[in-house]
This record gives sequence, structure tokens and C-alpha cells, in this order.
Amino acid sequence: MPFDPSTPAGVMLALLPEVILSVAVLVILVVISWRHAGPVDSRRAGWLALVGLGGAALALWWTAAHAPEDPGIGQMIATDAYRFAGSGLILLMAAGSVLGALGYLEREHLVAPEFYVLLLLAAVGMLFMASAEDLIVLFLGLETMSVAVYVLAGYNRGSAYSAEAALKYFLIGAFASGFLLYGIALAYGATGSTNLLLIGAQFSQGQLGLMARLGLGLLLIGFGFKIAAVPFHMWAPDVYDGAPTPVTGYMATAVKTAAFIALGRVLYTGFQAATLDWRPIVMGIATLSMVLGNLVALSQGSLKRMLAYSSIAHAGYLLAALWPGSPLGISALVFYLLGYGVTSIAAFTILGGLGRGGERDVTLAEITGLAETRPWLAFGFAACLLSLLGFPGTIGFMGKWYILAAIVGSGSPLLAVVVVLASLVSAGYYLPVIMAMYMRPARAPLVHWDRILSGTARLAVAVAVLAILLFGMWPAGPLRLTDRAAGSLVQSSGQVILGP
Amino acid sequence: MSEFLTSIGYGGWILNTLILLPLAGLVPLALAPARQAKQIALALTLVEFVVSLGLWWAFDPADPLMQFQVVAPWLPAWGINYLLGLDGLSLFMVLLTTGIMPLAVLASFNYIARRERLYYGLMLALLSGMLGVFLAQDMFVFYVFWEVMLIPMYFIIGIWGGHNRLYAAIKFFIYTMAGSLLMLVAILVMMFEVSRATGAPSFAYEAFLRAAPGMGALAPWLFAAFALAFAIKVPMFPFHTWLPDAHVEAPTAGSVILASILLKMGTYGFLRFAVPFFPGVALSPVVTGIVVGCAVIGIVYGALVALVQPDVKKLVAYSSVSHLGFVMLGIWAATLQSVQGALMIMIGHGLSTGALFLLIGMLYERRHTREISAYGGLAAVIPVFSLILVITALASIGLPGLSGFIGEFLVLLGSFGRYPWATGIATTGVIFAAAYLLWALQRILFNRMEHPENAGLRDLSARELWVVLPLVAGMVWLGLYPRPVLDRMDAAANRYVQLVQPGFRAPPAAALGPAPREPR
Repeated sequence: MPFDPSTPAGVMLALLPEVILSVAVLVILVVISWRHAGPVDSRRAGWLALVGLGGAALALWWTAAHAPEDPGIGQMIATDAYRFAGSGLILLMAAGSVLGALGYLEREHLVAPEFYVLLLLAAVGMLFMASAEDLIVLFLGLETMSVAVYVLAGYNRGSAYSAEAALKYFLIGAFASGFLLYGIALAYGATGSTNLLLIGAQFSQGQLGLMARLGLGLLLIGFGFKIAAVPFHMWAPDVYDGAPTPVTGYMATAVKTAAFIALGRVLYTGFQAATLDWRPIVMGIATLSMVLGNLVALSQGSLKRMLAYSSIAHAGYLLAALWPGSPLGISALVFYLLGYGVTSIAAFTILGGLGRGGERDVTLAEITGLAETRPWLAFGFAACLLSLLGFPGTIGFMGKWYILAAIVGSGSPLLAVVVVLASLVSAGYYLPVIMAMYMRPARAPLVHWDRILSGTARLAVAVAVLAILLFGMWPAGPLRLTDRAAGSLVQSSGQVILGP
Repeated sequence: MSEFLTSIGYGGWILNTLILLPLAGLVPLALAPARQAKQIALALTLVEFVVSLGLWWAFDPADPLMQFQVVAPWLPAWGINYLLGLDGLSLFMVLLTTGIMPLAVLASFNYIARRERLYYGLMLALLSGMLGVFLAQDMFVFYVFWEVMLIPMYFIIGIWGGHNRLYAAIKFFIYTMAGSLLMLVAILVMMFEVSRATGAPSFAYEAFLRAAPGMGALAPWLFAAFALAFAIKVPMFPFHTWLPDAHVEAPTAGSVILASILLKMGTYGFLRFAVPFFPGVALSPVVTGIVVGCAVIGIVYGALVALVQPDVKKLVAYSSVSHLGFVMLGIWAATLQSVQGALMIMIGHGLSTGALFLLIGMLYERRHTREISAYGGLAAVIPVFSLILVITALASIGLPGLSGFIGEFLVLLGSFGRYPWATGIATTGVIFAAAYLLWALQRILFNRMEHPENAGLRDLSARELWVVLPLVAGMVWLGLYPRPVLDRMDAAANRYVQLVQPGFRAPPAAALGPAPREPR
């Protein structure tokens, strides 16, 4: 029996995952206010956070099953499959980050249970971003997420780099929010509405005026900062590098996912009539991100910085998935977000395990010969790197293949050539890591014995690596889901389904 | 024999078995102690070879199309099927692969001393991947196998290779990947064309073949993408620089597999995909000029560079560049003889160059050097080794009565009518081949012994004899009685020649006999 989201009770049901997660945040906050001292309390908060995420996932499942097919125009909250796919991804990545952080925080002596509160708060914001059918809701979600992540970035109070990361991220983030808000204001000025469906309906009447175009441009800039696409990426390497590794993983996956899901909805629902206006911009940013991200990553010594630049390049691939303006493109975007998210969570979790206290400098030279003493860790990392490279047999390949298919299907293979050439360049920095682990001897016999993952991190990595390989071989299941998500988004904005 | 094979339903399960058996073998390999890894790998590759031998009898020489087809849906929404098949082009590549692998494993018994389980596991994965490349009849599946196979080879070179192995491994990987990524885009472009033409997306080879003439202005670009991927793999003249590095650094078995099988994937790709898809582009005067020119340059240049190599492994590596130039010439001449000759060279080169690398490896295990100048006068010390080396070198040169001759003769015969000048220059390659190999033989086997270390060398052990003798037998057999082999490749070679005739269009599926079952 579908609920009616136009009634107050219906809105609550439509927002059930967000509500459950918010309640979980409050519960944890209450618990930790008198259980706050040692590692045990931190761990308990972590497990509670996992329970909260699980509850939100169940609620998501229920809401998805009972959401009305067509909620009617003018809602603030979307109830389409696209939203549920995005929310699912966000919950998945948040859970992965929690699992990775459980052991990491204790090892780095960062035990303070608020970590998980902030992480969940950010997740609440992200869920709102994924479900926002209205620019104001989108902005609120984005700010909730951002503020929490600013604090998380500076979570390592003893480290100057962490503080630098937080400050940089905060200043740039505030700046980006300004752009976004101004873009929203201009879009409102041009259409008299902040609802994406209504904006889309307005624009479909005729040409976009100057004000609307300016609004679109500012929105793109604002999102460009959040997804760390070139030329709005300057903050990313330092912030990714300085933040604690689980937070970096969280930023690189969940934050990016939320921003891309929201961006997809803005472009495909709100500015669908202006596809020809935003396509060249998206193509330009995508190309710059792929080229610059990959080229600069080549010269990074620190693995964490390398992954930071690689995540800039991946923002480029994801933008390339948006570029076609077709349902196939949206499906490719969601699928790639899944592949990239699963892979990156595992990669950052492993990276967290590779470092040992003040792990700023996990370099290639540090991990030589890892495969001899820690074969499974090396195997997992190699699988992640190959997936990021887009090698067949991994989910990363299927993702890239789907992006290429979307681009080629739109009739212009040029951007596809850019994507594959950029991937080729990326082999130049992913492969040396594999070489270091497998093909160079260790510097000393026992140098890797203390590079271990905590039990929970091991679980997260094992599940992720299995997913990388299994969905790399049999992607049909997830592809069906992303196709459905794309279909729902495009249908709700009244575009014709093209299909492969 | 064929009745027996039919009675056990051989044609129905053979191709799947060939691909899956090595992968299944990874399980006992992972469970058994590391010391037994080599025995397990040897047993598995031998079983694989014996099983694959049935193809020789079960194969119907009169049928130019795919036989033993198996199909299973993979991504039905995209028309991607796990579609395998075998014809006269792939039959010998498959047999060569399954035949070389046990020898490569056997040759590694002493050479590989650490991380054996990983090594033999990679060998098995490689076997499966290589067979997949030759058997795949779905472009997507082909691409996946084509790329996946890179990884085991990359690790084999990178972990068990020589001094400069990291450089060689990454060079091998990036060169190959550079070519194949653009091929992926080309495959996608063609798939959308197939989809537009027929209304249903499909990656099937035959569907691509039928849709390829409709590519219009895109055809040159698509051909270039395919050709680049294959030209790097062959390797054709300007793209050959990864090969000497990879060969020199790879362990013996790696070199053998590279030379005998991996390089053939490039020429196989031209025969199977690039040229039949776009004969109009491939055989246009400009492209022909470039390809035939590069082939001839490769033949002469490879031979001349081989002449001056101080490292015997590098010498053989450059000789491969030269030999594969003949194959390219034969493919582009596109006459029945030249194509059969090209296939014969592919087989013969697989046997003789594989054997050369194996013999060099045995020498290296004894003396730990590959410098030609470090040897001399070996014929008196290790006569059996020397005899086999001489036979192998003569086969590689193309002495009548051994495997190299028939292929080169057919290529030159078949190409002369089309490209008399190029063929004329290519003929000199045969002479140069005699020069560099005989000169090397002289310096290694016959000159005065100047290094006393060489006096105490052991001759071949029984195991080593088992490694090389099958190859020698193959060379003699192919040289003396190639008829059954030629018969079996006849129909497929003929089909290739027909496909690339100007104005020829692939007939619709109905005319080609029963189409593969479409799982829907």
C-alpha cells in the first residue's frame, strides 16, 4: 500500500531512512555523553553507528517498497528508484567507513566516540542530498554534511596537517556553498521556484534566459568544488592527505556520491531542457579532471596523495558519465559510483592498515615486498588498484565500460577516447604500487609484520574485494538496479527512454 | 576416433572444458603444499593437452564456420553472450597453446625456485586466458580475455624475470593496454551500429562481420583502433620495442609463451577481426602500402638487428620481429597460399622459436649468462644439446624438410603476384635469417673453446629432453607432411580470402547454416 507524500505523515514515511538515522545520531549522542572515556566506549559508539546504519537501510528498503510510483509534482522529497539507489550507496559507504575506522582510531589514539556521531550526521545530510527534489532541501543536506565533514577532517587534533586539512576544507567549502546558494537564488529568480520538477517544467517552455544560465553555471561551480573536479580541486590533495585515512575514504566515496547523485538530479530534472548548454561545460571539466588528475598522480610519492589525485581523475570519469544526457549516462553514473565507492573504501581501509601511527608517509618504498609477508593484504590492494584502473574482471572495468557505452551511444566517441587514454595514463601510477608489493624485495625481513588490519576492517575489505571481483564478472544484477534508477529519474523529468 | 569422440559428446563440452579446467586446477594448486605445485600444474596442462587433441579428429575440415559452439547468456540486455567457437584459424592456435604449455611448465621445474604456487597458478590462469582469446566469438568476451591475459604475464615477467624485469613488465603491460583500450571504444562503436542495423544489441562476431560494411566514414578510424591493438601485439615494426625487453627479462617459460603464443594473438587478430571487418580500408592502397612496407621493414630490420645482438635471447627476439613480418605480408596478400603460409609460419614459429628459447634457457641454467661470446665449442661437450639446437635453428631459418620452410615458401609464393617488390625484398630476410642464426650457432657451438667453464657442462637431462623433443618432432612432422594441417586450415583460409575480396559482403546468417542459438 503506497503512502501519500503530500500529507505530513506521508512525508515522514518518505523520509523514514533519514529520520531513523537522525534518531540513531541522537541516541549515540546520549549514550556517549556519559560513556565517553576509553576505547571501549568509542568502539561501542561505532557499533551503535553500524546498528543505526542498518536500521536506516531497513527503513530505506521499506520506503522503496512502499513509495508511490508517481508522487505528483511539487514534492520536496523524491521517492524514485534513483533516490533509493543513491541513498543505498551512501549507507553502504558510511558503513564501510565505520568498519574501517573502528580499529584505526584506536591505533592512532584518536579515541573519541563523537567521531561516529559526526560521521552519521554527515550521512544524514547526504541522504537528504540524495532525496532532495527541491534545491533548498538539497542545500540543507549539503550543509549538514559539509559541517560534519569539516570537523571530521580535523579530527586528528595532534596533527598540524589534519588541522590544515580542516581549515582548508572549511574555507573552500564555505566558498563553494556560497556559489551554490547564489546559483539556487538565480534559478529561483528565473523560474519562481526552487523545486526541480517545477524548474524543469518552466525551462521546457522555451529558451533559458541569462539569469537561468548564470544560475546553472554557479550551481555547476558549487558542485565542482564538492566533487573535487578540476579546476575546483585545489583543496582536495591537501585535505585528503591531512585527514585521518577513514575520513579520507569517506570523503572520497560517500561525499562524492552524494554530490554526484544530487548533481545528476539537478541536471537531468531541473536543467534537462538546457542539456545542450551544460554538456560542453561538463565535458570540459571532465576532460580537465581526467587529464590533470591522472598526470599529477603520476608524480606523487605518497600513496595517499596519489589516491587523492586519482579520485580527482575519477570525478572526471563520473562527469563523463553525466555528459551524454541520456538515461544510459545516469545508469552508468550510478553503477560507476557503486564500483568506485566499493573499491575506494577498500583501498583507503587497506591504506589505513598499511600506515603505522603518524602514517603520513606510506610511500612506494615503504610497501616493497608486502606480498611475501602479507599476501592477502597485497592481493586486496592489487584488486582495488586494478579496479580503479578499470581492468577487466573487476567492477571498475564494468563501470568504465558502461560509461564508454553511454558516451558512444550518444553518438560522439570523442570523449570516450579521452576516457580510455586517461585510463592508460593511470596505469602508470597504479601498476608501480602492484610492482612494489609483488616484484620488489622487502627492505628488511620483518618490516611488514605489524601492518595488519583490525578484524572489522578486514571484514569490510573482504566484502569489498569480493564485490569487486564478483560484480566484475557478473554485473547483471547491479546493472538492472541502476538501469531502473536511471529510468525512474528520467521518467520523472519526462524524457523518453532511449535504452541501449 | 571421430565415432568415439561423437559417442562421448566431445563437441559439446570440449571448449568449455578447455577454458575451465585450468581455472578449476587453481583449487588443488592452492590447497596442495608448494613443493607439489609443479607436478599438479604439469599434470593439469598434460590433461588439457590430451583433451584438446581430440579436436584434431573431431574438427570438420570442410566447414569454414565456427564449430563446437557453446553459448551462455552473460549480459542479455546488451546482447553479450559467453560465446565460444573454433574454426580452422583458431584450431591450430589452440593446439599450439595446449601443446606448448606442458613444456613450458616442465621447463620451469628447476628455474622457478620461489613462490612456486603463485607461479604455476599464474601459468594456469594464463593458459585459460590465451585459449579464451582464440575461442571467443563475442567481441566483449574476446576483449575481456585479451586484457585479462596480460596480468599473469605481467606478474611472470615482473616477479621471476631478470635484472631489469620491472621496466620490461610495465612496458609490456602499458604497450599492450594502449592498443587495446582504443579497440574497446571501436568495439562499442560497432556494437551500436549493429544495434541500429538489426534492432538488437549484439557483440557476436558474426553480427559485427555483417554490420561492418555499414560503418561508412568511421571505418578508417575503427580499423586503426583494431589494427593498433594487434600491431602492438604482433609486434609490427615501429611498435616492436617492448618485445626484446620483455623477452630478455622474462623467465624461460615466459619467453616461450610470449614468442609461441602471445605474439600469434596479434596476427590472429588481424586474420580474424581487423581485416575481415574492414577489407575496404585494410586493402586500400594507402593502408596496404603502410602495412606491407612495415612488414618488409620488419623482416629486414629484425634480421639485421638480430645479426648484431650479443645476447642470444635478444637475437631470437628480433628474429621473431622478422618472422612475423612474413606473417603480416601473407595476411595482406590475401591469397589462399599466402594465408595458409601465414598460418603455417605462426605454427612453425611457435614450435621453433619456443624451442630456441627453451634451449637458451637450459644453457642459461648451466652457465648463467646469455652472452654469445661466453660460449664456443659446445658441440664437443654437449652433443645432444648441440644437435637439437642445430635442428631447431635450421627449422627457424626455413630449411626445406623442417617446419619453417613450408610457411615462408607459401607466403612468398602467394604474395609475389600481389606485391612483387615487397616479396622480393622479403626474400632477403630468409638469407639474413640463415646468416644470423648460423653465425650464432658457429660462435656458440663450433668455434674454439675459449672459456674453460664450458668444458664441464652437462648434456641435457631426461627431463630437458622431454621438453624439447616433442617440439623437434613437431618441426619435422610439419616440414615433411604438412598436408593434414593444411587441409584443416583450408576452409577457414578460403573464407578469409573471400571475406576480404573487394565487393564481397558477408551473406546473411541464414545462408551460412545454422546460426548460434540466441539465448533470450
